[in-house]
Amino acid sequence: MERNVQKNGLVNLVAAVMIFIAAFVVTSYVHSLAGQACAIFLGLGVLVAFAGWFQMRLEENERLEKLEFEELARARGETTLFAAKDAEIFPAQRARAQFEKFFVPGLGVLLFLLEAGAAWLLWRWISKADNGIVSDRAMKSLSLFGILALLLFLLGRFSVTIARLENHRLLRPSASFLLAGAYICFVTALGIAGTRAEFPRVDFYVARALCLLLGLMAAEMLLTLLLEIYRPRLKGKIARPIYDSRLVGLLAQPESLFTTAAQALDYQFGFKVSDTWFFQLLQQNLPVLLLAQLAVLFLSTGVVFIDAGEQAVLERFGRPVGVLEPGAHLKLPWPADRIYLYHTDQIQIFDVGFTPDAQSEQAKTILWSVSHTKEENFLVGNREPVAIKNENADTNDTLKAPPVSLITVSIPVQFQITNVLAWAYTNAEPANLLQDLATREVVHYLAGVDLNDVMSHTRLEAAQELRSQIQAVVDEYHLGAKIIFVGLQDIHPPVKVAGDYEKVVGAEQTKLAKILDAQAMAIRTNALAGAQAFTTTNVADATRQRLTVSAFAHAALFTNQIPAFEAAPSVYRQRAYFRAFADATAGARKYILLVTNTQDVMIFDLEDKIREDLLNLNVPSSPNNSSP
Amino acid sequence: MKRNLMTIVIGAVLIVIFALLLFVFQVRRSEVAVVTTFGKPTRNLTEPGAYGKWPWPVEKVYKFDQRVQNFEDRFSQNLTADNNNLLVMVYVGWKISDAKAFFPKFAGGSTVAAQNMLESMLRSAKSAVVGRHPLADFVNADAKQLKFDAIESEIEQAVQSQLQTNNCGIEIAFLGIKKLGLPENVTETVFQRMTSERQILISQFQYEGEAEAQKIKSAADRQAAETIANADAAATRIRGEGEAAAARVLPVFQQNPELANFLLRISALQQSLNQRATLIFDERTPPFDLFQHLPTNAPSR
Repeated sequence: MERNVQKNGLVNLVAAVMIFIAAFVVTSYVHSLAGQACAIFLGLGVLVAFAGWFQMRLEENERLEKLEFEELARARGETTLFAAKDAEIFPAQRARAQFEKFFVPGLGVLLFLLEAGAAWLLWRWISKADNGIVSDRAMKSLSLFGILALLLFLLGRFSVTIARLENHRLLRPSASFLLAGAYICFVTALGIAGTRAEFPRVDFYVARALCLLLGLMAAEMLLTLLLEIYRPRLKGKIARPIYDSRLVGLLAQPESLFTTAAQALDYQFGFKVSDTWFFQLLQQNLPVLLLAQLAVLFLSTGVVFIDAGEQAVLERFGRPVGVLEPGAHLKLPWPADRIYLYHTDQIQIFDVGFTPDAQSEQAKTILWSVSHTKEENFLVGNREPVAIKNENADTNDTLKAPPVSLITVSIPVQFQITNVLAWAYTNAEPANLLQDLATREVVHYLAGVDLNDVMSHTRLEAAQELRSQIQAVVDEYHLGAKIIFVGLQDIHPPVKVAGDYEKVVGAEQTKLAKILDAQAMAIRTNALAGAQAFTTTNVADATRQRLTVSAFAHAALFTNQIPAFEAAPSVYRQRAYFRAFADATAGARKYILLVTNTQDVMIFDLEDKIREDLLNLNVPSSPNNSSP
Repeated sequence: MKRNLMTIVIGAVLIVIFALLLFVFQVRRSEVAVVTTFGKPTRNLTEPGAYGKWPWPVEKVYKFDQRVQNFEDRFSQNLTADNNNLLVMVYVGWKISDAKAFFPKFAGGSTVAAQNMLESMLRSAKSAVVGRHPLADFVNADAKQLKFDAIESEIEQAVQSQLQTNNCGIEIAFLGIKKLGLPENVTETVFQRMTSERQILISQFQYEGEAEAQKIKSAADRQAAETIANADAAATRIRGEGEAAAARVLPVFQQNPELANFLLRISALQQSLNQRATLIFDERTPPFDLFQHLPTNAPSR
């Protein structure tokens, strides 16, 4: 009987290997996403089947070893040898114990890593991969997966039944994997069939579900490894192999949900949890509870709550039957009634001419010459085209610059949905269309204006005109939206030439400064000239007055001097002379020669002497050439 | 018995749901559907509602969005009639006008395949139309000279006629120019020209400023000189008036010309000695002649 268990384990292993290879080949042939996940699951089954078969062999060797030893002991009549040197006498027993102590937990860790890694990598790969099932191979691969499912089911069912027998517990892990593998192959076949039919995403969703299953298996394995540390070790209690997944067992035999749960709880807590009243109640009424849950879920689709600022289009079997305003509403449950929500009151914004850049927008100062968003250049008209020589060109030809200029604009457009039915049913992507229409109007407008005009005096008109034009086309296309605001908030030459525009402004300011300087100088010159003229005329006036008054005064004086003169002409003359002489020579330096020898020659040095204090001036020495 | 009833109920519900999914499908207002029976189109459903069907593989349902769908082509370079390189991007709104004609032509009704075909048609039409117009029809400082609408209409008509000829089940709802641009090297020349234009303005402002300042200064100098000259003239005239007034008292001095002359000389002497002077007198000059009879300290011989 034990030999048969080993054979069953070996058959399971061989079958798992062959079916894994077959599944891998088939899924590579048809490019099925679900097939990839199925092949990984079957590959994990190969590992489990191998571990189960190997452990069976160790236990069989241990059993044979014990039989031989007992036979030998009976023949010799000795019984103490077994008790004394257990480990040395029973190498097979020791090997089994070592296997359970080290290899099995190691396999558990390996399975955890493989399951978690496969779940994560497969999930990412599925997200990026297109649904690339080769349609003309779908039927063949569908049939092959069906055959694999059938083989696995037959073998798995047989193994599961045998595993219930006493001492066949090690057959259970591989049997569960084979039976669960049968169902997974069947589901994979359904995914391929769905793609072949009118549900092209079924394969994708099946693959996603299998990824989740792998993730759950990894979580279960991690939990098992942790709980294994704290599990109470009862003497004589046979340990459940770590690689025996309860989840896979449940998947293989869903009807054994409560049996599996009860076993797990009993095993973990060490007493019969499954005998408690709560567990019994749950076991008896679970279908009713599940059904009630489903009913509640179904009925909950008949109530809908619309938030403030939103409107919803209600469709009954695809036909729009009304617009739901904010509040609570009743509707027929899914799939009869469906609603589609739209933010109607919310002011929505899109940008024309630039792509907002979060990093650049943090700058507090916005300059023409520094790029503050990802800007686009628009073509604008140019009234005075100039042909210039292209210095960067390879040839010496003069490149003709087209009579256009370039400009950068930042135009945020704000809009609101006013007619939700028109918004929902006129265009597949109304927001994108609105942006296209607005961009077209901006391009059109700028193409028909002069650069300098639109940057200066027509700027405000431009914003108003753009708003009305965009609204007109929105109405023309029945988009059901209202343009609230069009801002021409940033309009300037491209960054590359913005510096030259700033220089022009600088030159204009310099011009004004020169004119103002000249005007200041003119005011000064004229003021000084006026003052000088005033002084000159005033001095002349004073002179005139002095001459007049002085003349009359002298005349009066002379009239009075005449009698005195006539009375004593010589004395008067002499007196007048000496008065005048005394007054006139009072401040003069006088030399009086009392000549005793008329032949003496006297030399006077009348040169002015330099003041002595000026000659003795001390010139301060400079700090650079100071000398001691 | 109770368990069996529950199993039957659950099974029945599941069967009903499965049967509904297999036998019933919905068509939304935004959709149009084509039902094929063993691959042959048998029904074209344009009205929204719930419809029955036989499950696959007997009948198969193809649903398409019947709303206007947008796409924009690539920003491609074209040559205008006056040999200017111009980059143009257009956006197109298209819709499925005949689903029955549409779905067999595009690999089971693939909108991506339809847009690929539209894009190739569009690029061809765009190049042809752009080549018929000068650059001034696209960009012109005089808005009246622009032919934007005409150009868009020409491209739309060209694509529309091709679609009708091929009976693709598609119609163009609208078409517009979304973006205009210049190739990189042409953009550089435009930048250079814009820079040169700015340089002209800079020079203009610079020399206009200097000229204006010079004019203002010259006018001020002229005005100042004029003011001073006028003042000098007025001063001369005023001094003359003073001289004339002073001359009116001269007859008084004629009463005693000798005294008058003497006084004038005295006055002249006083004025000439007002400055710092060094005078050397001998003993005969009055009043120093008083020293003649004083004893001197001359050395004895």
